[in-house]
Formats: sequence, C-alpha cells, structure tokens
Amino acid sequence: MPDIGKARVRVPSSIKPGDVIHVRVLVIHPMERIERDKQDKIIEKNYNYINKVVVTYLGKTVVTFDTTQSVSENPTFTFTLRVTDPGQIKVTFLDTARGRYEGTADITFS
Amino acid sequence: MRRAKPISRRRMLETFGVLAAAGATGMLTASIPRRAEAQQLGLQESVQDALKRVFGGRSMKDGAGIVKLDVPFIAENGAVVPVSVEVASPMTASNYVRHVYIVADKNRIPLIARATLVPEIGQATVGVAVRLGESGDVRAIVEQSDGTLLQVKREVKVTVGGCGG
Repeated sequence: MPDIGKARVRVPSSIKPGDVIHVRVLVIHPMERIERDKQDKIIEKNYNYINKVVVTYLGKTVVTFDTTQSVSENPTFTFTLRVTDPGQIKVTFLDTARGRYEGTADITFS
Repeated sequence: MRRAKPISRRRMLETFGVLAAAGATGMLTASIPRRAEAQQLGLQESVQDALKRVFGGRSMKDGAGIVKLDVPFIAENGAVVPVSVEVASPMTASNYVRHVYIVADKNRIPLIARATLVPEIGQATVGVAVRLGESGDVRAIVEQSDGTLLQVKREVKVTVGGCGG
C-alpha cells in the first residue's frame, strides 16, 4: 500500500488560549492480524502493526498509546489537550516493521 | 469426534509454545525496554491472565460515575468499533489519570491499548477504534496517579466479528 503511514491530525478550527481541545488522529496502516493455517495454528512471522503512538505538543510528550493487534485497521485515536501557546502537535507512529510515520497539526489562535 | 483430541492437544502445545517464546524473547530484549514492553502488552491469553499479568492481582474499584465508557451497544462491524473513555479527574500534578487501559474480554488478544497521560492535558478523554472478535464485555481500566484502579465494563453485541485471526 503506497498510502501506508499517511496520517491526518484534526484540531478544532477556532481555538482560544487555555481551551481543552479534542484532537482526532487518523493513520493509514494495515494493522495486520494474526493469521492461522488450516490446523488453526498461528503462522509465525513478523506481523506489521502499530505498537506505539506518541503525541508531543511544544516538544513535550503529552499522550502515549501502546497498542496491540486488537486495534482496528487504519486506526483513529482521539485525545484531549489543553492548549496554552501556539505551536505544533506532532503525532509519531511506530510499527513492528520499524516504520516511523508522522502527522502534524499547527495550533494557532485567531 | 476423532479429530477433537489432537486439535486440543495441539492448541495446548501451541499455547505453551507461545508463552515460552514470549518469556524467552522478553528476557532477551529486557535491555531494550520499548520492545519488551510492546511484546508484553499484546499476548494471546485469556482476559483473566491478562489482567493478572498487567495488574498483578491488585483490587479494582467500580468506576461508575467517574469513568465514562462510550462504546456502541451493538457493533455491526467488529472490525472498527469506536471506543472512548472519559474520566472525571481534576488532572492536577498530585491527582491525575496515569493510564487508561482498554480491554475486550473475548478477543484473543484482550488488551487492546494503553494510553499514558500527563496532568498538563487538562482533561482525560481518550478514544481508539478497536476490533472486537465476538460479543462480550469491553472494559476500561483507569489507573490514577495514587495507584487506584477503577474499572467499568459494558457488554457489546457484535454482529460480524472483526478479529479473523
């Protein structure tokens, strides 16, 4: 899949300093499930799924998700965040195939 | 009927094999915490084993009224089920939500996700789109900064399972 790792970070359109905002993150990722053969035996291989999501705001880690294969394909994550200063929300996804994907959103006050 | 026995034996061996492998790799990679942690979180096990492994038999309080678990009563498609957990917490440096665990009892990998929070975020609400293999309880377990565990669970009916493996 060429789109793998494409991430979108959505924040509300109008934000005031001090607000607690809801952030929604979507990432394109297959999140491979465990496969079994006809004997119901697990096929041993390195399944490619996201096992860590790190969110940083103003360079500080605010939310971390540790995930397993029970998370859906092309997963979405949501979280809340109190915004104090304009800056960047950066979401980093790490998968078991040593992939590293990033999505960003800028916080600006109008 | 004849096939029943060898399969159950195979399953049992396989379970032991997986456990042994997990134990061995866990030991080998102990020096690299992130990898070891990732392996610890998602194992094929029963929900009782998972809770025992993660929380070590610590008692859990009923979190009703504090923890709000938002999940559909009926999930038509088990492959994508939105789960959201909202915790009423002051989120100050001395009293905040440290971890939020999302667990599906009937999944082969019951532990779905663990969110780690810091007090600065102001409000503890996290959501993840999860897979559900079959109808069963979905739990949210909240670990507060003083170590208290709060649990809420709700049954979800799944029309089409989403965990083929």
